Amino acid sequence: MEGSTRVGTRERARAILSSEGVAAKPVRGVGSFLAMALDTFALMFKPPFAWREFLLVTWFVARVSILPTLLLSIPFVVLATFIINILIMEFGAADFSGSATALASVTQIGPIVTVLVVAGAGATAMCADLGARTIREELDAMRVLGINPIQALVVPRVLAATLVALMLESLVSGAGLAGGFFFSVFIQHVTPGAFAAGLPLLVGLPELIIALIKASLFGLAAGLIACFKGISVGGGPAGVGIAVNETVVYSFVALFLINLLATAVGVKATM
Amino acid sequence: MAQTEPGPQHLPRTRHKLKGWAVGWNRVGHQTEFYAKTIRSIADALINYRVEILGQIAQMGLGAGALAVIGGTVGVVGFLTMSTGALTAVQGYNSLAGIGVEALQGFTAAYIITRVIAPLIAGIALAATIGAGATAQLGAMRISDEIDALEVMSIRSVTYLASTRVISGIIVVIPLYCVAVLVAYLSGRFATTYIYGQSTGVYDHYFNTFLNPKDLIWSYFQVIAMAIVVMLVHTYYGYHAAGGPAGVGEATGRAVRTSLIVLAVVTLFVALAIYGQSGAFNLSG
Repeated sequence: MEGSTRVGTRERARAILSSEGVAAKPVRGVGSFLAMALDTFALMFKPPFAWREFLLVTWFVARVSILPTLLLSIPFVVLATFIINILIMEFGAADFSGSATALASVTQIGPIVTVLVVAGAGATAMCADLGARTIREELDAMRVLGINPIQALVVPRVLAATLVALMLESLVSGAGLAGGFFFSVFIQHVTPGAFAAGLPLLVGLPELIIALIKASLFGLAAGLIACFKGISVGGGPAGVGIAVNETVVYSFVALFLINLLATAVGVKATM
Repeated sequence: MAQTEPGPQHLPRTRHKLKGWAVGWNRVGHQTEFYAKTIRSIADALINYRVEILGQIAQMGLGAGALAVIGGTVGVVGFLTMSTGALTAVQGYNSLAGIGVEALQGFTAAYIITRVIAPLIAGIALAATIGAGATAQLGAMRISDEIDALEVMSIRSVTYLASTRVISGIIVVIPLYCVAVLVAYLSGRFATTYIYGQSTGVYDHYFNTFLNPKDLIWSYFQVIAMAIVVMLVHTYYGYHAAGGPAGVGEATGRAVRTSLIVLAVVTLFVALAIYGQSGAFNLSG
């Protein structure tokens, strides 16, 4: 009696810890994600490079992201400018609203909006597209034809996401500065000359470079997560929806973490 | 509309463009109609589908499937607000230290986290977790014809699926936002006092002096407004998904995109409405 319960417990423990078990599942997910990421980095430098796919995907990701970027960055910057202007007008320093807007939009809002757009628009679209291909067994067909889907599909997608994120960051900063200018000057009555003069006070080339590096890292991470979730879809129609949902959640979590770490490093580096 | 002669069209390009605009315009009307119907059916859902509402609350609060592994909705919301709270400390402390007033970091946290960061990040996390989950779920139901089956069984599908989700979204967001705000405050305090080494007394003094309870209550209203909008957008896209498995994924992506934009706009207008031009803020007391 006593022996049989012990065996039962041990069997249950082994089932939990085994590769099929519950405890091992998230670990295996992380492992296969890392494996795919390594494959992607290794195959990035191995010819032939899928130029056509790269251009098509870049165009596709840019097309789904540009409008959300503009529509997101303007309210974000206006909100930040509004909140900051209330504060600095209280100090009687409304002339510095330009420097505050530049600091907010280049160093923080730029990367955050890029995160949201890259993860919410670009990565979801990529994951839905790849997931649909996986469901239709197109990836298996490619493997049968001797084409490595990682090289043909994942590498161009990851690079495209990185490139588009880099370009989006400059778009966000530009649109944000323009939005902040109009809001400060025409609604909150800041002198336009003072606004423009204050822009480069706190934000210089190092901050801009760090923001661009951050944006590229976001694109890379979001692209990898979207492709991983896309090629490991299972379970029919509901599976694609769930995979897209997971892409959004995981890439938000990963990107906010990267943003925190990169900001801390960047602030140290520019001080 | 029987078009008899297939002869040459006048201005084919203009006509094509106008048709595109008309389709877009009609889509806006279609969405508005769905939203009005959903909101109108909320009372009906509260009376007739109470069990479904409870089920949705349980599912949204704890998360289902892979989400549950990383702590469910609470875990995701807590993590995102924690990292942004710490981010406020990192950026704010260093910017303030540049002009020698890093002592005011407590004030910055009380002001910016309460008014902008906590509601906005909580809204974004809500859209990513509960919202996208609802779209995926409803989309899968739509393309496997389960929604039609509901209608056949004379269950009012909009009430049963959309209105119940809106109600449970509103209910779930309240405790979720408590967690979000507390985590953001604590992580901001932790980063400033432990990592940057500011004394806790200085931090707490400025934090408590400038933490305005009225702002906190308004930010609750902001978050509830967001929850309503997010649930409406996401149920719309899920309810009207089409085009097989790929369609569900596309609908989820489109819903996330739309709701992020709507969230930013809602936050902006609610903030402008609450705080007004003057900002309802007095530094000198």
